[in-house]
Amino acid sequence: MQINRRQVLQGATALGAAAGLGQPAFAQANPLQVGFIYVGPVGDFGWSTMHDVGRKRLEEVMGPAVKTTAVEAVAANDMERVATQLARQGHRLIFTTSFSFFQPTMRVAPTLPNVFFESATGTRTADNVSLYNARFYEGRYVQGVIAARKSKTKTIGYIAAFPVPEVIHAINTVMRGAWSVDPSMKIRVIWANAWFNPGREADAARALIDQGCDVICQHTDSPAPLQLANERGVFGFGQASDMTRFAPKAHLTSSVNNWGDYYVERAKAVIAGTWKPGDVWGGLNSGMFKLAAFTNMTPEEASEAQKVAEALSSGRLHPFDGPIVRADGTEAVAAGGRLTDDQIRAMNYFYRGVEVSLPA
Amino acid sequence: MTMFEAILLTIITASTPLLIAAVGQLVVERSGVLNLGMEGMMIMGAACGFAVAILTGNSAIGIVAAIIAGMAMSLIFAALTLGLAANQVASGLALSIFGLGLSGVIGAPFVGAKRDAMPRLDLPVLSDLPIIGKALFGQDPYVYASFALTFGVWWFLFRTRPGLVLRACGESHASAHALGYPVLKIRLLAILFGGGCAGLAGSYLSLVYTPFWSPGMTAGRGWIALAIVVFASWLPWRAMAGAYLFGGITILQLHAQGAGVRIPSQLMAALPYLVTIIALVIIMSRRTGQQTAPASLGTPFVPDR
Repeated sequence: MQINRRQVLQGATALGAAAGLGQPAFAQANPLQVGFIYVGPVGDFGWSTMHDVGRKRLEEVMGPAVKTTAVEAVAANDMERVATQLARQGHRLIFTTSFSFFQPTMRVAPTLPNVFFESATGTRTADNVSLYNARFYEGRYVQGVIAARKSKTKTIGYIAAFPVPEVIHAINTVMRGAWSVDPSMKIRVIWANAWFNPGREADAARALIDQGCDVICQHTDSPAPLQLANERGVFGFGQASDMTRFAPKAHLTSSVNNWGDYYVERAKAVIAGTWKPGDVWGGLNSGMFKLAAFTNMTPEEASEAQKVAEALSSGRLHPFDGPIVRADGTEAVAAGGRLTDDQIRAMNYFYRGVEVSLPA
Repeated sequence: MTMFEAILLTIITASTPLLIAAVGQLVVERSGVLNLGMEGMMIMGAACGFAVAILTGNSAIGIVAAIIAGMAMSLIFAALTLGLAANQVASGLALSIFGLGLSGVIGAPFVGAKRDAMPRLDLPVLSDLPIIGKALFGQDPYVYASFALTFGVWWFLFRTRPGLVLRACGESHASAHALGYPVLKIRLLAILFGGGCAGLAGSYLSLVYTPFWSPGMTAGRGWIALAIVVFASWLPWRAMAGAYLFGGITILQLHAQGAGVRIPSQLMAALPYLVTIIALVIIMSRRTGQQTAPASLGTPFVPDR
């Protein structure tokens, strides 16, 4: 019989519990260990911050039934090592919270069949890999509508991280929303080639504003672009968390992510033994994200934005209804049709009218 | 403000932290010490500067705190490499990693706190000059400080006797020692100066450039500053040229992207590095035979008694 360090530790824990250290024995003996891997620092005030808020919510709801570990600022090529390490320490449920982690997750999951993985965004599931994501594009559509109302130069500036489908369909959807108000709206895009690099994000915002953009959308995680919009007297939107206080004069709305309820649900499923690979893509109506209060808008503008948000939430309005024509002139979907979820998640083209070069 | 002025203004703001850090590091390397802990000292400056500015409500005190934080970090490095004659490369790398971690701990309570950027300081008359007026003389105090620093370091290194002695330590510490100069003391002062500059450059990021704190916000600028010193072949004015070239291409490629130039953005993002390397190669090939790196750079010195 082999005894490794973990079994010794587990034995020690069980002894401690049996000796009655003031906690119910069942809770201490076997809490579910849940691991979280973040792509950015917990303090990015955006994407990773909100995953950590979700983790805290999980601890709050489940109490001693779970024990969580978070590893922050993990590079994609280091994720497999971190996941393996977490698994060795006894974590049975691991949330890998970035699209950049999706491929590493798919590689490492088969080697750790006793661990359940949850990948925040991705393109397919596996026996022990679930996908979860929110339909942030609904928020992007609302941003487009607001931007078209607010912009005097009729040009939106968009700071994008990487040319992945999630970002590409967001850019397209912003423009779809903007064109629903004013078909003459234009967009300029700068790729920051980073999810989190405050200095470069701010530089990109400076360049866009200098080029005449007066509403800034960002698909990067720091509040730097929004803060710069405030300094320069143009408008902007917050990313992932409510960033109102960073830009009291510029902030219009933010998409505020809320992962906690999902984390609770999945942890309960593991404890109950009912965990199955799933593919959740929740919209505004799911509570996975919401829009922060509309600020710096007239009551009419705010009420229009609210109506659009409600139409998206109820399903009356769908941003991917046909007809959709690609930038190269081919038709993606005809009038009366609608892109499927898989098509949206694989989008690698811009719409006609979005004059942006795709990085090769 | 015209487009040209706006771009020039942005380039100068983007280059300033690189310049300040590079000029500080240049002095350190001229004394014969290679401190790779730039990134760690810089981010400590960013964290401590922001934290103190929030706590006291005063940017000036924040800046002083940032300089002290950078110096404190460099003191650790000095203790290891001068006191214990430890390997400079390893100690510097350790300092970078340590700084990134420690700054996260110090900054944690200040995540999400916000401050307004420091106001610009328009120099009367000069800032009304056409074209370059606003870009050069309508800036925040850091920009003026970076000009003064570059001039000061050049003057010190090449026009004063202590500067000559410092360079002597970098070229041949044994000879300097034999002549009776306190090599370790001189190097300690140089390291402290470099640390202070790194801290100052870091505070520029968290107090002016993107006025908030976030872990890892220096995003590799310390390493770029190190590279600029090499590109500049250890000359202050070339360091200035290198910092502005690097910052300039960085900003111009963003403008090109925004304007929809059909070049892959990854290539654009690599341009600052490519152009700077090419510029270096050209400079080097035209000035063969001239001295480059200080001869004792990176070699520990243990005085024989």
